[in-house]
Amino acid sequence: MVERVFQRPADALGEITNHNDAYSIDGLQPTAVCLSDLQGLSDALSEAAKDGLAVAPWGGGTRAAIGNRPARLDRILDLSRLSRIVHYNPADLTATVEAGISVAELQRHLAEQGQFLAIDPPLPDRATVGGTLAVGGSGPTKWQFGHPRDLVLGMKVVQADGTVVSSGGQVVKNVSGYDMARLHVGGLGTLGVIAEVSFKLTPLPQGEATLVAAFDSTTRCLAAGLAVFHSVVTPLALAAYDAAVDERAHVAPVKGHHLLAVRLGGRPLTLQRALRECRSLCHQGGATTVEALGEADAVAAWRKLADFGWDEATAPLMSARASVPPTKLAEIVETIANGDSPAALRCETLCHVGYGTALIHWFADGPEPPTHAIAEVATRARKAVHAVGGRMNIERCPLPVKAGLDMWDQVGEPIAIMRRLKEQYDPGNVLNPGRFVGGI
Amino acid sequence: MTDQNSLITELKAIVGDTYVVHEPDDLIVYEYDGSVDKGLPLAVVLPDSAQDVSLVVNAARTHRAPIVARGAGTGLSGGAVASEGGIVIALTRMTRILEVDVENRIAVVEPGLVNLELSNAVSGHGLYFAPDPSSQKVCTIGGNVAENAGGPHCLAYGVTTNHVLGMEVVLADGSIQWLGDRTRESTGYDLRGVLVGSEGTLAIVTKVILRLLKKPEAVKTLLAVFKELDDASAAVSGIIGAGIVPAALEMMDDLCIEAAEASVHAGYPDGAGAVLLVEVDGLSEAVEEESEEIQRICRQFGPMEIRTATDAGERERLWAGRKGVLGALGRLAPNYYLVDGTIPRTKLVEVLARIKEMSVESGFPIANLLHAGDGNLHPSVLFDERKPGDTKKALEIGGRILELCVEVGGVLSGEHGIGLEKQEYMPLMFSEADMNAMARLKPAFATGDLFNPGKVFPTGASCADVFQAAVSKVGPGAWI
Ligand SMILES: Cc1cc2nc3c(=O)[nH]c(=O)nc-3n(C[C@H](O)[C@H](O)[C@H](O)COP(=O)(O)OP(=O)(O)OC[C@H]3O[C@@H](n4cnc5c(N)ncnc54)[C@H](O)[C@@H]3O)c2cc1C
Repeated sequence: MVERVFQRPADALGEITNHNDAYSIDGLQPTAVCLSDLQGLSDALSEAAKDGLAVAPWGGGTRAAIGNRPARLDRILDLSRLSRIVHYNPADLTATVEAGISVAELQRHLAEQGQFLAIDPPLPDRATVGGTLAVGGSGPTKWQFGHPRDLVLGMKVVQADGTVVSSGGQVVKNVSGYDMARLHVGGLGTLGVIAEVSFKLTPLPQGEATLVAAFDSTTRCLAAGLAVFHSVVTPLALAAYDAAVDERAHVAPVKGHHLLAVRLGGRPLTLQRALRECRSLCHQGGATTVEALGEADAVAAWRKLADFGWDEATAPLMSARASVPPTKLAEIVETIANGDSPAALRCETLCHVGYGTALIHWFADGPEPPTHAIAEVATRARKAVHAVGGRMNIERCPLPVKAGLDMWDQVGEPIAIMRRLKEQYDPGNVLNPGRFVGGI
Repeated sequence: MTDQNSLITELKAIVGDTYVVHEPDDLIVYEYDGSVDKGLPLAVVLPDSAQDVSLVVNAARTHRAPIVARGAGTGLSGGAVASEGGIVIALTRMTRILEVDVENRIAVVEPGLVNLELSNAVSGHGLYFAPDPSSQKVCTIGGNVAENAGGPHCLAYGVTTNHVLGMEVVLADGSIQWLGDRTRESTGYDLRGVLVGSEGTLAIVTKVILRLLKKPEAVKTLLAVFKELDDASAAVSGIIGAGIVPAALEMMDDLCIEAAEASVHAGYPDGAGAVLLVEVDGLSEAVEEESEEIQRICRQFGPMEIRTATDAGERERLWAGRKGVLGALGRLAPNYYLVDGTIPRTKLVEVLARIKEMSVESGFPIANLLHAGDGNLHPSVLFDERKPGDTKKALEIGGRILELCVEVGGVLSGEHGIGLEKQEYMPLMFSEADMNAMARLKPAFATGDLFNPGKVFPTGASCADVFQAAVSKVGPGAWI
């Protein structure tokens, strides 16, 4: 269904709006069209392909900064109205939704049935399901439930020429045909536009509790986190952050230099036991304080930890996401955050311990340092990550820095396969040209 | 012929004479896998390294001989069945555990390693490899990766793809590349992710980086016996609906019970219509709380009896009937055709009732074994291949069961793969455009038709023609 109302960009369903800064990507201001159904999306893509336009799918725009600067960009496809819940059967613990639904809205529906989708991106009120998958990012809950790609059961994608294709299914166990959705999770919309997704859901734990422990060194804090990782307890989330993060975001009422937040869930006795175990692991690890948060504080703390670096209040000059083997986190945080820096930037880190993710944010206290100095900071950090066998992608930085620095880490030889994938699915280079790895 | 001889000579130069099998009598063991198809290769090569594999791939490509990778050959959809006149690369010499990183819970292994041997090897560190296909005593990690194998304990912990971080592969151009690495997040397209479950059609896996899990503190197994299958199904829905995702949730029907009773004397009560086997693990408190809740739910559906066990030996006894079923089916009929499909869990009652109808109408008994927790069905159509026409009929019933699975919102295969067995059914689930999009992975991996040609995608032949005979060649100790 296409409504022909022409107001704010997001209301102008099916109409092409003029260039405007509501949809700017890296300073480029394309035209935009807002779509509310699959047919409209398919038509918009086949038209764009015919006219040789470069398009970028747009969810909530929360992570529009991710990727290299587009080589070309003519039109935004706003999917935020493609937001229906197509199918939800709580008893099956599965749901199929259109890609433009916001993560928060979906979670509200699921919560009514005592369930949730174990994906917690920044800014979930705006972040859409499709956008979150396209950037492949999640938040701290991936600790127990895995990468978002592990929760996708099936996917409907509109290809660059407008063809609608499906893969996977709506059931939790399936090996029929190739698992195509894997290419689109983290594919930044360069091989097709995610239109509909079927997910595996998780029951909400009967009870939850969050502990925050303070330590006087990064090493101690991360070691305590690893001790939890190795213990009999399986937390819902496990995040380490430093005092600077806390000062900026007011994460929780527990203060200290280096903080470890442990989120636990379960039935009453299980929860008590898990709390006991984690408390004692933190004490053994040299914690100066260990406190359980009240319910409201806990909810707020996890929201702030997931949003950090993406909401207005905490927006850094530059952010990176490093993925390393879990035991190497302390080493890279030490090197990157505490080493000397070629530019006067303050480095603040947030780690998903046990999973091996470090979110590294740099803030300029004074005037913005020169472009080359910022780039040098990123390059050194990347070297430190490589030294421990990890990879680091830069998720945001000042536009001039993008010109001389690849936002994506090297992918090595498989880049040839990736280029051929692009040729197969988007030979006209319609979708997000130039934003992905290796100039794809 | 001379060309074939020269290929064999080249292969021998790569891996040594001993590791090229080409005499017709010796090749017969490689003609089958666990499915119903067969194909005689020109030669079977047993490489010892990725370099060997690469050279073999180059030689085969030059001679335009198709290649089929092979692990233990336990696949149930014909994935490892050779292409006539092609080369089989058997990875059963490459069985090393190259590294166990206990702190990061990672293992790096070769593809020929037997699944269970990995868990055995890391057990001392309190770790295990979670995917546990019922064939785990023999099937290989490479085969698990290619089929994205599941197992009874995948309900809570996920199937193979959730446990593979990276792998070294040999592509059709002979290059050796790493897809993925030791970290949990990837950069660029998740090539590792599409390769898992691609049934040997895109690349040959030569090393795998796997995630290991820590062993739970406590485990409890519950066995609940019901008079009616419907009650057991309702209990399954009740358990999932109560927000419990047990480690395993298995079910079997009256025919399976009869077979198990006859062979392993599991001691099920007379008149049992369904057995539910539930396993919970984790903190001992969690195990207690969840198992109590599960018993409470089961009791709502009037079970004939509920047994529980926590120590390993006792638990093994509760599993014995379940594990013995497949071998025991042979007591009921000379042959069975094992079907693998998944349905939404809430459709269990409906689908099992319709399978029962099919059985009554056709006169073929159908025994139902289910990974009920994730809706994965394994109905086995019992028949006698010596009766003319019965094989075909059994296969047709299998096809109708798959149609039914898709009709209720399910899929063609939950864990055994498409291979040769189900390729003609793909259009039930996927449009031309869907399959076309999948098929484009081959040019992207530059595979051509070198690896496992003619599988997964439909050829246009009728399903029953594709099968020669439906004789499952699984031993008496086997279980699905
Ligand atoms: C009794 C029995 C019980 C079973 N139970 C289960 C179960 O519970 N769950 C389940 O999922 N499956 C089950 N299966 C099916 C089978 O065991 C699995 O599919 C297993 O993963 C196959 O491993 P394999 O080593 O035997 O592979 P094979 O049968 O040798 O090969 C399977 C496929 O993998 C490809 N392949 C093998 N090695 C490589 C490699 N290194 N690189 C690329 N491709 C490769 C082959 O070409 C083929 O397409 C069962 C089978 C039997 C006989």
